[in-house]
Amino acid sequence: MGKKRRGPSLEELLGRPWCYYCERDFDDLKILISHQKAKHFKCERCGRRLNTAGGLSVHMSQVHKEQLSTVDNALPNRSSLDVEIFGMEGVPEDIIQGHNQRVATQFQQAEAERQAVTGNPPAGQGGATPSGGPQPAKRPKLENVSDLKKRLAEHKAKKAEALAGGSSGEVTPVGAGQTTTTSIGFNASNPPAQQFSYPQPYTGAAAGSPFQSTASPVYQNFLPGGPQQYPSSTQYTSPSTYSPQPFTAPTPGQPLGYPSQPPSQTNTPPQSATGLPQRPPSLPSASTLPQRPVMGAPPVNAFQMQQMHMGQGQGGPNGEGTTPFATSVDDLISGAARAADQAAAPAAAPAAPAPAPSKAEPTDEKTTKKDKAKQTRLVYADNETSPEEKMARLSRYAFVPREETVLDEVPAAVTAPNDTLGS
Amino acid sequence: MATNQFTLASPPTDAISALKFSPEPESTRVVVSSWDKNVYLYELRDENGNIGEGKLLQKFEHRAPVLDVCFGANEDEIYTAGLDWDVRRIDLTSSTQTVISSHDAGVRSVVYSKEHNIVVSASWDSTLHVHIIGENISAPAIVPLPSKPFSMSLSPTKLVVAMASRSLHIYDLKALAMLASQAEAGKKLEVEPWQRRESSLKFMTRSVACMPDDAGYASSSIEGRVAVEWFDPSAESQARKYAFKCHRQTADDVDVVYPVNALAFHPVFGTFASGGGDGVVALWDGIAKRRIRQYQKYPSSVAALCFSGNGKYLAIAISPGFEDGKDEVAEGTVRIFVRELGPTEARGKGPK
Repeated sequence: MGKKRRGPSLEELLGRPWCYYCERDFDDLKILISHQKAKHFKCERCGRRLNTAGGLSVHMSQVHKEQLSTVDNALPNRSSLDVEIFGMEGVPEDIIQGHNQRVATQFQQAEAERQAVTGNPPAGQGGATPSGGPQPAKRPKLENVSDLKKRLAEHKAKKAEALAGGSSGEVTPVGAGQTTTTSIGFNASNPPAQQFSYPQPYTGAAAGSPFQSTASPVYQNFLPGGPQQYPSSTQYTSPSTYSPQPFTAPTPGQPLGYPSQPPSQTNTPPQSATGLPQRPPSLPSASTLPQRPVMGAPPVNAFQMQQMHMGQGQGGPNGEGTTPFATSVDDLISGAARAADQAAAPAAAPAAPAPAPSKAEPTDEKTTKKDKAKQTRLVYADNETSPEEKMARLSRYAFVPREETVLDEVPAAVTAPNDTLGS
Repeated sequence: MATNQFTLASPPTDAISALKFSPEPESTRVVVSSWDKNVYLYELRDENGNIGEGKLLQKFEHRAPVLDVCFGANEDEIYTAGLDWDVRRIDLTSSTQTVISSHDAGVRSVVYSKEHNIVVSASWDSTLHVHIIGENISAPAIVPLPSKPFSMSLSPTKLVVAMASRSLHIYDLKALAMLASQAEAGKKLEVEPWQRRESSLKFMTRSVACMPDDAGYASSSIEGRVAVEWFDPSAESQARKYAFKCHRQTADDVDVVYPVNALAFHPVFGTFASGGGDGVVALWDGIAKRRIRQYQKYPSSVAALCFSGNGKYLAIAISPGFEDGKDEVAEGTVRIFVRELGPTEARGKGPK
């Protein structure tokens, strides 16, 4: 609903009247008949339009003394005068079947193409269940919210485990303690932020709505009263803005302030000078990422390589896990490292940032596309006071009960019980 | 526009707050409450039984603007609620008005349940008053609410109250009626709602309407959006709920979003109509999730909608926007249209 219907269904297509002579189809029978009269049954001598080919033939022989041999403008094998056609009447059964078959095939083809292009479910399947059935050749879709959450939770658990396991203790310099606490603090504040996500069906029905990007941190500071959440979502202007995120991650002391940081900061390209000082760490923070050793990948190398590629080796110890993006990027980095296991280590590092936007933040991508295109303006933007209350406050509608009972000629019998009831 | 739409003669002189068709199947009575402090009773049929622009039968003056009106047990009885804090019963045949209770603030909505013979009023004093309608109407039971109510609707068994702070209570009418009958008059009656929900919409709820088949309800917000939900608390029923955008216009690349002021379900087909601040009325098939049709824009904001008891007519009340609290009501901006629906005009298309 709310969505445009996408084209007619197969039944509708099959139900359309069509012309025997040229296979064109029409919205209704009347139009078909006038088409036939104009295109196929029109006398070329005098322009008179007859109802059937037979009629035209008789007209030609009687009026113009000519013999009609073929129907005008007809397909080569349909131009015979033997079949008496009027609208859809008289069309031989086998030709009808052939036509229907052709329509059905075309429809299915178009459907398949459309699905391949849009990734949408076939028409008629609930538009509100985006994760519907498995579709062939679907456009890569993001995982749904619950999966994302699950993954996030798993990742956090692993991390917490690693922290608790004391792995961060030995290697990490002074900053490590901070890292630990801040990242825990962030974890704790993250789940509530997700409460603001809409229930899943909603996201489907209103795809592209500003409320949709459930895992996004934007909604951490969502205020139900304010339209200001629109601008905030434009922060994610394009998928590529995600990649720099880990490198501009706030220093350990700042993480809670992150949501209010100006969006411009997230746009900093990795190579830019401003990103450098804050650049994350090397070994110490790697130790807070439990899964890397498990993979048996050369994680440290990959990471270091990456840093070298970024051209910066300084930067104190800092909390890599302080932004949600960092967590997913960590995953991605490790995943990429795994993939590049046999390949050269340098290859892994540049590859890592790339998958991040497409994999982890698909919903955001969708949202921003639409949001960018259109700004919204609420005609009535007061989320606290209903229009009726506003109107009631206008002086011309003012009502003061006590005074009124005195001033008005309301019978005492009515007002008296009032007072007792109202108390 | 088409001939199947009439404009009611002698409309109210100020904004319309509510409009109701008589629930009786073949009746063509309409009551309208207005900010001009009157309640209007119209009959669409003329002496010859032809449905047309109708005539104003009666007008009932109140002490303050009237915010809601509903029919009672039969079409000779109506209940009104308004800014004079009172809930009234009006006997249309004798024109007697009786105040059945008084709130401590303006009364936003009033509904009548045929099945349970109760009248429930909701006021900005954050209470519901539940009146048992019997031989004589006793003092109401007062049910406190967590927030100000904005809209209320009932189905045969449920009462849905939409409030500020996006909260929404669903009461079981049977339980509510029973508790109210045992309650001490004038005392607060704490009733645990059958369900407490948070609105599915991010913005202030503007209107709620229950499905005639008692399965669920639709709600609308000031931010051009309508949600459809089901009462059944089971996971699969809840998974069916959805919301969609509507009543928006794009002007210079800015999406202008209008409040959805009115919702009304078709009593026979179960489809529903929404009316927005943009003056547009759209018909929706809530099950197939499709828009059935949208009518041409009306000259001002749609304030209220109601289908007739047999579903053959749709009454549309338009009023200048509540939004800006304009001082003057321009000529011709307060009007009531009655649309005669074709046999399939409001029917859903069925899932495809």
